[in-house]
Formats: sequence, C-alpha cells, structure tokens
Amino acid sequence: MNVVEVSHLTVQYGSFTALNDFSCEIPEGCTGLLGPNGAGKTTLIKTLLGFVQPQSGTARILGDDVVSSGPSIRQKIGLMPEQDCHIPGMTAVSFVAYAGELAGMPSAQAIRRAHEVLEHCGLGEARYRNVETYSTGMKQRIKLAQALVHGPKVLFLDEPTNGLDPRGREEMLDLIRSISHGKGVNVLVSSHVLRDIERVCDRVVVVMKGQLRATGTIQELKAIQGQPLDVEVREPNNAFASRLMEIGAVVGPPKNNIYRVQLAGDVRQAHITVQAAARATNAQIRGFRVAERSLEDAFLDAVQPGEPPHILHATTATGGAQ
Amino acid sequence: MIQLQNASRWYGQVMGVNDVTCEIGPGVTALLGMNGAGKSTLMRLITGQMQPTTGSVMVDGESVFGNPNVYRKLGYCPEIDDFYEHWSGRKFVTHLARLTGFSATEAKARAERVLAEVGMADRADKKIAGYSKGMRQRIKLAQAMVHDPQAILLDEPLNGLDPVGRREFINLLGDLANQGKTILVSSHILFEVEQMTRSILLLNRGRLLASGDLGVIRELIDKYPHRVRVESHEPRRVAERLVSLPFVLKVEFDPRGDALEVQTREPGKFYDFIPQLVLDENLPIEGFSSPDNNLESIFGYLVEA
Amino acid sequence: MASPIADVSYRDYDGPLFAARYRWWVIAKQGILLASKKRNLQVLSFVSAWYYLAMIIVLFFVNQGGSGGNSEAGNRIMEGIMKNVVWKDQFLHGFSFAQLPLLLVTLVLGAGAIANDNRSRALLVYLSRPCTKLDYLIGKFVGIFVPIFVILAVPTILFYGYCALSFNQYGFLRDAPWLLPQMLVVILMSAAFHSALVLAVSSMFDQGRVAGATYAAMYFITNFFTVAMSITWATADGKAPEPVKHLFYGSIDGLQIGFCKAILDTRGSRPFVGGQRGAEANLPVPAPPLLAISLILLAIIAGSAFLTWRRIRAVEVVG
Repeated sequence: MNVVEVSHLTVQYGSFTALNDFSCEIPEGCTGLLGPNGAGKTTLIKTLLGFVQPQSGTARILGDDVVSSGPSIRQKIGLMPEQDCHIPGMTAVSFVAYAGELAGMPSAQAIRRAHEVLEHCGLGEARYRNVETYSTGMKQRIKLAQALVHGPKVLFLDEPTNGLDPRGREEMLDLIRSISHGKGVNVLVSSHVLRDIERVCDRVVVVMKGQLRATGTIQELKAIQGQPLDVEVREPNNAFASRLMEIGAVVGPPKNNIYRVQLAGDVRQAHITVQAAARATNAQIRGFRVAERSLEDAFLDAVQPGEPPHILHATTATGGAQ
Repeated sequence: MIQLQNASRWYGQVMGVNDVTCEIGPGVTALLGMNGAGKSTLMRLITGQMQPTTGSVMVDGESVFGNPNVYRKLGYCPEIDDFYEHWSGRKFVTHLARLTGFSATEAKARAERVLAEVGMADRADKKIAGYSKGMRQRIKLAQAMVHDPQAILLDEPLNGLDPVGRREFINLLGDLANQGKTILVSSHILFEVEQMTRSILLLNRGRLLASGDLGVIRELIDKYPHRVRVESHEPRRVAERLVSLPFVLKVEFDPRGDALEVQTREPGKFYDFIPQLVLDENLPIEGFSSPDNNLESIFGYLVEA
Repeated sequence: MASPIADVSYRDYDGPLFAARYRWWVIAKQGILLASKKRNLQVLSFVSAWYYLAMIIVLFFVNQGGSGGNSEAGNRIMEGIMKNVVWKDQFLHGFSFAQLPLLLVTLVLGAGAIANDNRSRALLVYLSRPCTKLDYLIGKFVGIFVPIFVILAVPTILFYGYCALSFNQYGFLRDAPWLLPQMLVVILMSAAFHSALVLAVSSMFDQGRVAGATYAAMYFITNFFTVAMSITWATADGKAPEPVKHLFYGSIDGLQIGFCKAILDTRGSRPFVGGQRGAEANLPVPAPPLLAISLILLAIIAGSAFLTWRRIRAVEVVG
C-alpha cells in the first residue's frame, strides 16, 4: 500500500493557488520532499495533517482520506516541526509522555514509551531535565522523540538537521535512517540540505509551483546519460588527458583534480584503458568510478524554469519498511 | 589582511577562543567547528565587537577594537535574525548606509545597488516582518556590503535558504572573492563549504586546530590510515592479492559483495601499485575511490583525534 | 523465534490508542496536575480561606464562653451575640475577603497558561496530534477552572458543615435554607469568570510575566472604583448619589461581590460577629439586580472566550 496518495489536489488561499492539480504517490520507505521556498511543500504537509481544506481532489494517508477521517488521522502521524517547540515547565519525560497521552495513549503506556523513545533518541541521561535548559541539538532530539512517542506509521520531518553541528547532524541522520528502515515507520523528510536527503532517503519527490516536478529513486535522479567516468589524479596532468583523447575518449577539464571521461566499452575495459594511459604518462590515479551528478545538480536541473517536467517513475519501491 | 596574534578571549571562567594565531587573506575562507568551538567569538573579535583578553587582532596592520577606521573596512552578517521588523528591507539597508556616514542620496544609490546584487531589488519594499528566512539572509548580506568593505564576515549565511538560493548565494560570494575581497564564512554544512572554498580555519574547543588549504591538510594527516574502496565483482580474489601487499593494513568486505574497503598507511604506494594489479595481473577491479578525500572525513579526523 | 538477546533498538508502538474524543480532558488533567504540585498555590489556598478560619476560631470561643461557663450571664451574652449574626453574610464576607488572594491564585494558575505556550510554540505539539483548537481551549479553561473552584469551595463547605452542626439552634438552616447551593453557584460563576478572563489576557502575550502583570493591573485599576465608591458611600451617610451604587460594582472584585449579594439577596453587614439586623442606614451598598449582573458576567465570560479563540491560530502550525 502507498503511504501517501494524492490525486488532483488543489489548495487555494484566497486567490493564491498553493497546490495546483497536484498528484503523486509515495510508497513505503524514506522519501525526501524537495522544492524551492514557496513551492507548496508546507501546504502539502498541512493538507496531509488535515489542517487545510482542499478545494478539490483527494489525499489519502495509508488509505484513509485526510478530509473525512478528521483529526483521527493524526494518530498515525508524527510531526517534527521546523521551529523549536515544547510545552513549558515540564521535564523531558513528562513532556514526551504528555505528548503521547495527547495522541491517545493510556497514561501508563505513555510514560513507559516516553522513557524508551528518549533513550533511543540519545536523551537518556537528560530526560529528567527541564526542556527549557536544552541545547539546540537536544531540542532537535526531543522534537523527534515527541513525534515518535505514539508509534506513528508516518513521520513528517521538517528540516531535522537545522542548527546542528557536523557531529550532531551525523547522529541525527543515523537516527532517522535507523527508524526509517525496517521499523515500520515511513518517513517524509523536507530539507534544503540535499546532502542530508541523500544520506537518509531512498526516493525524492520534487515539488515546484504547486505541481509535481519529478519523482523517483535517488539513484535514478543522479544517473547521468552515457555513463561517464570520474578519474581522479594526484595532480592535473595534460599529457594524460591528451593521451586519453588520442585513444578517442572525451575528456572534460579537470575540476579538483578530477577528469570526467567518456569512453566506449564496459567499465572494466575502460579502467584498463585509463590505467594504461596513466602508466604511459606517469600519472598517478587516485580514484576511478562511474560518474554521478550530485542530488543538488539533479534538483537544480529539475527546477530549471521553462523546462518541461521530466517525471521519473520508480519501477521498484525501495526501502525496508513493511 | 586580517591578522590574529595569540588572540585569546574568555568570559569569566568560560573560554571563548584560546591563543589563536592566523592570517586571513583575500578570497573565501571557511570557519569550521562544532557548536561552542568559538566561531562566533572569533567573528566578534575580528569585527571589533570585543577586545581580545590577550593578544592582538589587526586588520591591515591596525588594531580593530574601538577603531572606526577599521570598521569601515569590515562588513558583518550575523547569525541572529533581529531587525526593525516594521521597516522595509530597502529602508533598513538605506539607514545602515546612512549610519556608515554616506549622504542621503549616496546611501540611497548604494542601497539600490547592493539590493540588486543580492537579488532583492524587486522585493525590498515589503516589511521585513513578512520576509522568509532566505530573504532575511539576503538583506543581511546587503547591509554588510553596502559600504563596499574589503572584508565581509558571514555567520551561517546559508541557513534557511533553499537549494536554488544556496547556489546563488555561493556564486555571489565567489564573485565577491574574485573582486579581491576577503570573505570569512562559518557553516555547519561541510558539503557546501567544499563548494565554496578549499581554504579553511578549523576551531575546536577554542583552539585553532587546522588552517590552510584542504589538500595540504589532507596530506599532513596521512598518518591516519587512508581508506580506499575498491569495487569488484570478485572481491575475494582481489582481497587475496591485496593482503599480501606490505602497506595494506586491513581489508574489509562490503556486505553486498561487490566491493571491499582497504586501509593503508602509505596511500602513495598503494595508488602506484594499482596499475600493476589492473594491467599486469589482470585483477577484476571495476573502480576505486577514497571516501577520505572530502571535508567531512577530514573534519572528523581532526576533531575526533 | 525467541532470541536470547533482546532487540532494544527502536520499535513500533502497537498498544492501545484512545479515540480522538475527550482529548480536552487530557489537557485539563495536565493543568490540574501541575497546579496541585505548586507549593505557593497550597499556601495561597489557605490564605484565601482566612476569613472562614478566623470565624471558626471566633465562633468556637464564643461558643465555649457561652456553654462552657454554664452560667446564666454567659449564656445571655452568647444569646446576644448569636442573635446579631446574619449567617448568609458570613459567607458573603468569606467570599469577598478571598478575592485578593484569589487574584494571586488566578495569576499563578492562568497567567502563563497560554502565554508561555505561545513562547515555546506548544500549539505545534498539541495540534499535530488528534487535538483540535477547541480541545485546547476547553482543556486550558478547565485546567484553571477546577483548581479555582476547589480552592473556593472547600473552605465554604467546611465552614457550612461546622455551622450546620454547631449553630442550628441559632437559626442557621432556617434563616437561609438554600445557602449552600447558592454559594456553589456564586463560586462556579467566580471560577468561570476568572478563568475566562485570565486566559484571554494570557493569549494576548507570549510571556507569562507580562500577561500576569496586565491581569493584575486590570484588577487593581478597576478596583479603584470599588474602593472609591465604598468610601463615598460610607461617608455620605445613606445620601450618596445614585451612580455610586452602580460604580461600586465596576471592577473584577465588585462584579463578583455584587453577584454574590444578588444571589444571597443581602446587602451585607459588618464582618465578624458585629452584624446588625435591621439597622438600614449604615449597611453597605445595596445588592444589584440579579438578572443584570448575571448577564454582565456571562457576557464578559463569552467575550473573553471569543477573544481567546480569535488569538489562537491553528493554521500556522507548519512552517
């Protein structure tokens, strides 16, 4: 079953159309929700949470229509908002337990589960402290904990790594990856940092101007036509490049000591050719791999104005969520 | 152009930065470090908002603190988002230009120019209260550039920008650097730092841990085992050969069975040996690359060590 | 199947979940729970009952003096005192004298109720669950209303019980047979009035302290009327102009005392045992018309609720 199914959804605020005949399907697993500011990502999440009434079209989460199921749909959803939020005057445990009770858990279960989730989010030692005394990284973790406490089947994460330093960011991404793979939680991450999306998600949905722009697995989006190769050398070596060109390769200018090379034949064959060229010109090769564009380049391509939306449809749903 | 000589700053018992000596020249330099490493303190020292407790901070040979001459040469784009919310962006930038000492007409002209440069000219008449995070970042940069300073310091300027905005912002900083300006940027997103510059300053717990060019720094930390990922559809055959090499420390298989990870202490020798494996011994190696050559792993090495 | 090593990584929660109804009770329960843990609230609830406590002591000693001595003279003195006591006025006094401590109780309970939530964006936590804005408002209201009601009602009921058991022969039940239900109505209205008003003020700010200061300022500024008018009334010797009677009730205090007087149908008397049956001229300001003052109170409660409703915006939950 698809986690999210949206068909012909139109949402307007007054005369402004935030989502325009938007349709998409999000299968199980971890999906990145991308789009420039004002593209309609926020409106989509609000609609899925049941806060906004669509003018037309339908949206379903795990098969339930978001309009007719009312607030009960939010029992299956966890939301980690972008801004800091907590309930004042409470310790972490009582806050998270209270959040669980608000979602409908019996209070004994809520307390038990609050301890478990806090432990899992790495706040085990700080759980009896008042949330107001938390650092930025801890505040992000507690937001995740309160979103997870009632065991949601769908988790919305809005900019989960905001304000985190490299180590905090790494830990948060590992945490998200661990809950979104094989634990029965489907995750929808919205972030401007595409590198983070690349780390945790299997697929992405790109929204632009209220419409679906592209969707597919990250691998599909990153692939480049014609399978070029990236050859990294110790230092730029003109002899090496011209040697390759003599053989008939297309060689781009070096960027950070990396040549992008287009060669006929399979990868193994190409590797032998390149190594031979390097040996002949005394170049040291430090890396040889099939080139990919970064998700960022893929994204910037996809949101290029004017270009017709190229929609990739994934053939297989990846991700371990059952 | 910016020089720090044994500069330290502490707040009561709390250490901000500890004995930092470095020089920041024209071009983009990235300031890296964990939360609380002292990045903001360093920025405040350089912008003259604080006096170093010991040591000196100089710009073009002049001491910074309490020196308006130097302030004219500096632009600062702070991390916090406090504005006069009910003003328009245009009014805000114009007023700050006036504060620098320009006449009303001059300030207006300059404000127009920088607003166009940061791509806010058409949107600058709205009240700041209604701005998105990205627009706020642009206005902050505009006010830092309005007096045409020689050095611009930016604290987490990419926060809240969408990918398109990030790319534009990075390009804008690149243009400024090409004009010969000195740009110091702090950021947590190392992947993006790599797109901006190869020159870094790394602070950890108040100390300057590394400074200079990334490539050079990477070379110097070669004392750590260097990892190389080798792709092959017969990883065990490749491994058999690799373990016999004296400079290979460790071989580990990828659970998916199509690659292995090699650790070596002498990457030079290792890379030199690969042609022989591929060409003469005909080992099935489809590709290889090191995951260690990016800023993220360098940062990890330096900070964890 | 059962591995000897447990998997303690993240696991899903598949336990029971209640339906999305009555969610406001969870919020209210939390409010009451937090209130019951506040030490200063416990102190304040004693302070607000001070008149009843003092009366119990006074009456106890009067009673002791009368029956304990068993002398003719002692009994006569006691008869004299007891004949003068207007029982329902004792409850009016108890309620009136509780007003100032009650202000503090309300501030402790309610000033930060929504204001602090605004600052820490707690609404995001509430509304991302199966809670609605109405659940939130009702929950917050009940969470303040119940503690105030309890703090007011408990001493009233205790005092009533003491009097009913000890002084029935002096006409306690006969004088005012509906006294207890009447007082409970007064307390209900008072608790509702304070809760609604303080919530409205709290929803205007994002700092509990500022909201508290504003509410206190409202209380004391309006209280000026009540104090000024009662002085005018007392010095005018029964010949005060007509508006004085109305303006006296133009404050948070005054409205409630007025309502209490109207319900109990009394003008009041001097506190403690110095009651004066029948002496018209020196009595305090007469009771306002019951219907008018009830409508005013209800209108203020409704207005406050509407204001709070308008201030809480549910749509801004994401982004």
